[in-house]
Amino acid sequence: MADRYYFISAGELAAKGADNIPDELIGNKHLIYSSPATLAFNSPGAQGFGVKRAGLAVPDSVMLLVAPRCCGRNTSALAAPGNLGERFFYLLLDDTDIVTGRHLVRIPEAVAEVCKSLPAPPSAVMICITCVDALLGTDMERVCRKCTEKAGVPVEPCYMYALTREGRLPPMVQVRKSVYSLLKPLPKRSDAVNVLGFFTALSEECELRFLLKQAGVNKIRELALCADFNEYLEMAEANFNIVLNQEARYAAADLEKRLGIPSVELTRLYQLDKVQRQYLLFAAAIGVQFDDKVYYNEAAAAVENFMKSHGNISISVGEWLNGDPFELTLALLRYGFKVPEIFGTVGEGNFVWVKKIAQLSPETRISSNLSPTMMLYKDNEIPCDAFIGKDAGYYHPGVPGVNWNGESQPFGYAGIKALFTELDTVLTAGKEKK
Amino acid sequence: MKGFLKRLSPFAPDNSGVVSALFEFGGLIAVCDAGGCTGNVCGFDEPRWFTMRSAVFSTGMRDMDAILGRDHLLVDKIVSAQETVKAPFAVLVGTPVPAVIATDFKALRRMAEKRTQVPVLTIESTGVNYYDKGASKAFEMLFDTFAVENLPVEKDSVGILGATPLDFSSCQAGKFLADSIDKKAYVYGMGAGLEAVKHASANERNIAVSPSGVAAARLLEKRFGTPWKMASPWLPEELLKNCSSLAGKKVLIIHQQFAAAALREKLLAAGADDVACATFFMTEKSLTAPHDRTLKEEEDLAKAVEEFKADVVIGDRMFKKVLPDFQGGFIDFPHFAVSGRLWENL
Repeated sequence: MADRYYFISAGELAAKGADNIPDELIGNKHLIYSSPATLAFNSPGAQGFGVKRAGLAVPDSVMLLVAPRCCGRNTSALAAPGNLGERFFYLLLDDTDIVTGRHLVRIPEAVAEVCKSLPAPPSAVMICITCVDALLGTDMERVCRKCTEKAGVPVEPCYMYALTREGRLPPMVQVRKSVYSLLKPLPKRSDAVNVLGFFTALSEECELRFLLKQAGVNKIRELALCADFNEYLEMAEANFNIVLNQEARYAAADLEKRLGIPSVELTRLYQLDKVQRQYLLFAAAIGVQFDDKVYYNEAAAAVENFMKSHGNISISVGEWLNGDPFELTLALLRYGFKVPEIFGTVGEGNFVWVKKIAQLSPETRISSNLSPTMMLYKDNEIPCDAFIGKDAGYYHPGVPGVNWNGESQPFGYAGIKALFTELDTVLTAGKEKK
Repeated sequence: MKGFLKRLSPFAPDNSGVVSALFEFGGLIAVCDAGGCTGNVCGFDEPRWFTMRSAVFSTGMRDMDAILGRDHLLVDKIVSAQETVKAPFAVLVGTPVPAVIATDFKALRRMAEKRTQVPVLTIESTGVNYYDKGASKAFEMLFDTFAVENLPVEKDSVGILGATPLDFSSCQAGKFLADSIDKKAYVYGMGAGLEAVKHASANERNIAVSPSGVAAARLLEKRFGTPWKMASPWLPEELLKNCSSLAGKKVLIIHQQFAAAALREKLLAAGADDVACATFFMTEKSLTAPHDRTLKEEEDLAKAVEEFKADVVIGDRMFKKVLPDFQGGFIDFPHFAVSGRLWENL
């Protein structure tokens, strides 16, 4: 009988192996505790970027949510004037609709009504459907074609099928394909690339852009930076795509198949030498050389200065952040910091980091935010000097730290530099207060 | 078009109403969903979630659970969580997925009760109805299950039924309601917990402060003979101040019926010419005046304002979006179930 929250040490977990991860760390093996620390994972739409907000990444598009009212409820949070609220429309289902699927015949009419109500036609209408249509087996592609015929604008489906979260194509993978699905073939430009993976832009300081410029790439496009639909359509002229989030692999594969744009994948890392190595391999793959010394040195200096100012402090790491908590933990350990605990979701993909963490800090505790036993986690139960990640902050009220989950996307050396600079600011302010 | 919203966003659904009603009673609440519904409830419709711990969980249903109807796995998960929570009862809350696959909630209840050895309430909300319907079912089932002992009546004790932040747009509503009554008040679900429910037969009388409290009040009347009435004894000071100069005006109030009716009484007493109430939510006949109306679709709202020829509209400011041509005055009366706004955050 549980009388405290569940954790396992990195050493024990590594010894068990990726095939024997305990049930307590696997979301679908227990009820899911939706604490404020974990809302972003259990229900991405509740906080952060869910399918609804992501679907609207296509410039000048609008969204029609076709669902029971409960699925669209939290969209009210986006309804403030000037926010995305003006781009959302709803066709709410009743008891009969959800059993018979009779709502499907009303969708084209609703799309036409949406277009009529706007001062100018939208670039596209994204139709967001939910678990109900997943269970009804709705052929949404067909419904969308009917809508296009009726309304005369492109209509694309966005599948918010929460039931398929652990499937091959979870909602956040599908929606990444949806947002690029309106691109049509264009002649290729050898000096153009797209950055795929995020719905918001890379941080302004990110060196990736500067390194690509060095290599002669003049057009670096990101969905979030497309000022209008025409600029969005120009993404089709890219010579190749750079995938920065593995959830965009499926979209990249689709773009390769439809538009002949190949892709290369880079990972967001916080270990300096791994970032350097990744750039080296990337440059070799595209047949250029990057001069990244200055960026490397800046990031290294940020880490070093932080260590000088604050020493080898202990840092609690969560997963509600821009990065993989296990890779970030490994980076922190390798820089000389202590990490007493990690709140994260372990899977095959990141188990490699767990093994390395186990070598450096076998006693580090690993817990799942989703476990019902997290109700028993007492505030600051495991003492730490700082936290990284909004969820880790929830468990450590009063402790200084950074949420590190902002919309400006950190990457590469600039990400490392920004993380330590932000942490330094917060910790220094804390010291001054004392 | 039926169910089409051009300007408004969806109001709080019945599954949110269930959780809101039961949030403070210490039960293990399992929302039978894939995660999104619980996210909506905890991340948006339950403002207490960020300040008060409650055992609200998602069952984390996946496609194969829904297709194969793997109820035994769900019960396994509940049993396992109950070992951690040790709650006095458990609740299974319906959402669209169980509604589509026709989950047998009665069977689930029997299976779960047998293994957890605590009462299990099953509330078949569907996510397509409004919050008040869910809250009403939840309060009724809670009292039906736990208010069973017939105790001697306690003089001057009052049970307050139907209070939730969804209706009263304040996490402090329990205190405000209790303070507004000159007796010993038990505000169920916002201050008074499960022990108070078990002693509900001792109340001298009950007040249903929203339509969500009516079914429970009727149940307690039938079971123990406790007299009850409908009233909304607390209206925010700020609202009353904003409504202080409406003498001679025709006023349309759009809100939950009991709150609207209480405000109407005050406005008429202060000299308003005529006051009508309109609501999208449940209504009780005895509180309905001739000009009052129930709204179904977004466009009904503009029609109601036009046909009543209102000088002033009082309602959640989200409704202004539907009234772009209305030239009269508009007074904000936040309704959390509509806009997710609390009085304390204004």
